[in-house]
This record gives sequence, C-alpha cells and structure tokens, in this order.
Amino acid sequence: MKRLLDILLGRSQPPPARSEGLIALSTAVVTMEVQLGFRPGQEAALVFRPVESPYFDRASQELDELLALSAREAGTEYRTQVDRYRYRWVILSDPDFEDLITAVHMLAQTLLEQGFGEQLLAAVFRFTSPEGQPFYWIYQYKRGRFTPFAPRGDQQRDHALELRLANALQRELPIEPELERWYPLWGIPL
Amino acid sequence: MAYSMRRVVKWSADPGLAVRMLFVMGLLALVYLAFMAVLISSGFDTVTILIIAAIMAGFQYFFSDKIALLSVGARVVDPRQAPDLHAMVERLAALADVPKPKVAIVDTPVPNAFATGRSPRAAVVAVTTGLLDTLEPREVEAVLAHEIAHVRNRDVMVMTIASFFAVVAQLVLRWAYWGSAWGSSRDRRGGGNAFVIIYLASLLVWVISFFLIRALSRYREFAADRGAALITGAPSQLMSALLKISGVMQRIPDRDLREVSELNAFFIIPAIKGSSLMELFSTHPSLERRLERLRELAREMEGL
Repeated sequence: MKRLLDILLGRSQPPPARSEGLIALSTAVVTMEVQLGFRPGQEAALVFRPVESPYFDRASQELDELLALSAREAGTEYRTQVDRYRYRWVILSDPDFEDLITAVHMLAQTLLEQGFGEQLLAAVFRFTSPEGQPFYWIYQYKRGRFTPFAPRGDQQRDHALELRLANALQRELPIEPELERWYPLWGIPL
Repeated sequence: MAYSMRRVVKWSADPGLAVRMLFVMGLLALVYLAFMAVLISSGFDTVTILIIAAIMAGFQYFFSDKIALLSVGARVVDPRQAPDLHAMVERLAALADVPKPKVAIVDTPVPNAFATGRSPRAAVVAVTTGLLDTLEPREVEAVLAHEIAHVRNRDVMVMTIASFFAVVAQLVLRWAYWGSAWGSSRDRRGGGNAFVIIYLASLLVWVISFFLIRALSRYREFAADRGAALITGAPSQLMSALLKISGVMQRIPDRDLREVSELNAFFIIPAIKGSSLMELFSTHPSLERRLERLRELAREMEGL
C-alpha cells in the first residue's frame, strides 16, 4: 500500500541499507577455506557514495575517528580512496578475517546511524582461488545479499566459478537469487 | 550526537509536490468519472469504446519501449561497447535497488537522454552521443540517475494509466467526426441531442485532461530530479548537467529538434523550446524552476 502511494507520488526512495546479512560471512569463510580451498584475503573494503552535505562530512569524520581507534586498539590498518566514479572506498587490512568483518560492519553501522544508509553501495571481501586467481564476495547493502565476482582480465568474468561458489555456499550466505543483479565492480583495489 | 541528514532532508518529504500530484490525479479521476457517467447515461456504446481504448493503451504500454527506441534509432549497447556507461548505471541501479536497465545510445548531436519500458524489469535508459560529448562523466551520471528515478517511480505506467480516459475521449471524438458523416440517419430521431452532449463532453474531457496530464508530467520531472539528486548525493551535478544541456539545445539546428520532437515526453529536457507562457502546454517544467527546486534541495542538504 505504501509502495503504491510512493509510486503514485513519485517518491523514489531507495530502500534502507540492510547490514545484518554481512555477519553470515564469518561462518562461510571456514567453508570457503577448508572445504573449497579459497584463502581469505587480508583486506576488505566498504564502498559508499559521498553526499554534498556538511552532515555527511561530519559522519565521515566520525568514520575516520573510528578507523583511527580500531587501528590503535585492534591493529586494523586502513586507507581511503575515491574511484573513477567518485565512490569512496575505505580499505581495511587485518590478518584476522573475523576482525575485518567486524570492522566493516561497524563502519557501515556508523553510516547507517548517521542517516546515510542509503549511500552504502557494497562491502567487498577478497579470496584467492587454489589457482591463485582473485575471487570476491560483494555484499550489496540495498539487497542485504552477497553476489560472487570473479574478474578475469579485461572486463571478463569467470561465470562458471561464480555459479559454483554461489551454489556451494547457498546454505551459509544470503546469496542474491537474481543473476542480473550480480553486478561487477571492475578495478577493485584489493 | 547524531547529525542525521534524514532530519534535514527527508526523502519522501516534498509535501508540496505530493499534494499537487494528488490534487491533479484527483481532478483527473473526477473528470474521467464524470465523463464515464455522461457516456453511459447517454446510451452510448461505452463497452466497445473502452475495449478499443484498452487495446490501444495495452499496445502502447507493452511496446512503448520498442517504439521509442526504434523511432529515435537507439541501439542497445553491451558492457564491452560502453564500459563506463554500464558501470555508472549498474552502481546507480544498485543504490536505487532497481534491476539494471538496458543501456542504449542514440546517434545524434542533440544532448539528451530518456528512459522507457513498462516496468523496471523491462526498462531501457538511452543517452545520445551528443550528451556523452557535451557533459562531464559526473554530469552524465546525474542524468542517468534522473532516468533511473523515472524507472523507479514507474512513470511510464503511471502516465499510461493517467492518460487512458483521455484516449477514450479522443476515440469518441473521432467516432463522432466520422459518425456525423455516415451515421446521420440513425441520429435523426431524437439521437441528435445525445450526440451533441457526447461530443461536447468528450471535447471538454480531452482538453482538460490534456492540461492535467501535462501538469502531472511536469511534477514527475521534479520528482525524478529530486530522486536523482538524492541517489547521487549531489544536486549540483544535475544542475550543471541541465544547464549545459539546455545551453547546447539553443544552438542545435532545427532539423534535429523536429526529428526528435515526438519523443519529448521521455526526454530529460524537451527538444522544443517554448516561452514560459507556454509552460502549461509543456511536458517538462522550465529550466529555471527545476534549478530552483534543486537549489532548495541543495540548501536543505547543506543544512541551511
């Protein structure tokens, strides 16, 4: 009913970000590593869209303070960069995968609490296949689901591998069922 | 302490726009209801005309995307042909949570863009080569976000439904035109009065709904502008895009403008320019008004 009214009135509000699904990765990582032989990387990233607003600047200041704190306390290193489409990447590195997930979740939660949940695009986790190729789990905040991404060279993806891993981890991860939403993210800096 | 932007800019809170949209839709519904009442009470064969109109509207609804793409010569491009365009659309679609629309390019120097397709699943977003040449990538992105906001608001569906009874009125007018030529013997006994009433009612409905539908279309543009600014988080991008497009629009040869004129309703900026007095007839609000709205939104976002 509310959706109908929103359509009638042209209020194109994107859904709020769903952050809770991310946690499932902390158990799935065991299956990834032990069962399938995909080594988890030491880096993860949170990708979001900056807003032209002092409120957003303050929120990202808070993010920076949080990052500095977790660097001191838990030893999670971080760097930020802006990609060519002007999305901001906060790249965290920590030898402990569990800590990575927690840190990414905390950052996303902070943005959510500041009212910028709509700006969250994705969280990205890198794995390395037994053949040494990169494989990423991309958590899409709007869907609250994971999508696989196995880039191979110039704008090519290993779809077979993506389908295989999506199938293998179906019980453990909330995986996006609609294949047309398995968006790539080219040039992931991890 | 939470510096929530949501307290400053509420997504759904453009109450003025919502009220005006509801008002226009309510008026349309009233006009259409009255029209139906007149048609039925005058003994007109309403069912037949409704069925014909439904078939026409259905045809338009299901094939509007193909017709639109064909008539401007748009070609759908894959990610390898236009990697940046696809990457921008993918990310915007993910942020707005709509299925990724198809991406098409129209080969014309007129800088413009449009969205079409009956549902988000069947949506196509098209940009012209002129747009890609004229605008910076960030401005192109703002235009794409505007089109994706149209898709998310299901504007094709809303406008098809809103204009359904206007199509009926138009059909009746045509029927009356032909009917008066060869149906005069049937109307000779007492039918003449009803005929005049039906004719006048249809004419009135057609004229009134024309203005109401145009008004609704202008409000949908404001809504899409707002949606685009909020999806990208940057009203300034869309503002500079609109300024640039309309600036270039002044210097484009007329032939191109006429070629694309029938598709105006889909475009981000109509190819035909009118004076501000003519705004009532226009599918798009004037540039000044759109910029003013965006400036307001930008001020809200800045917390001013």
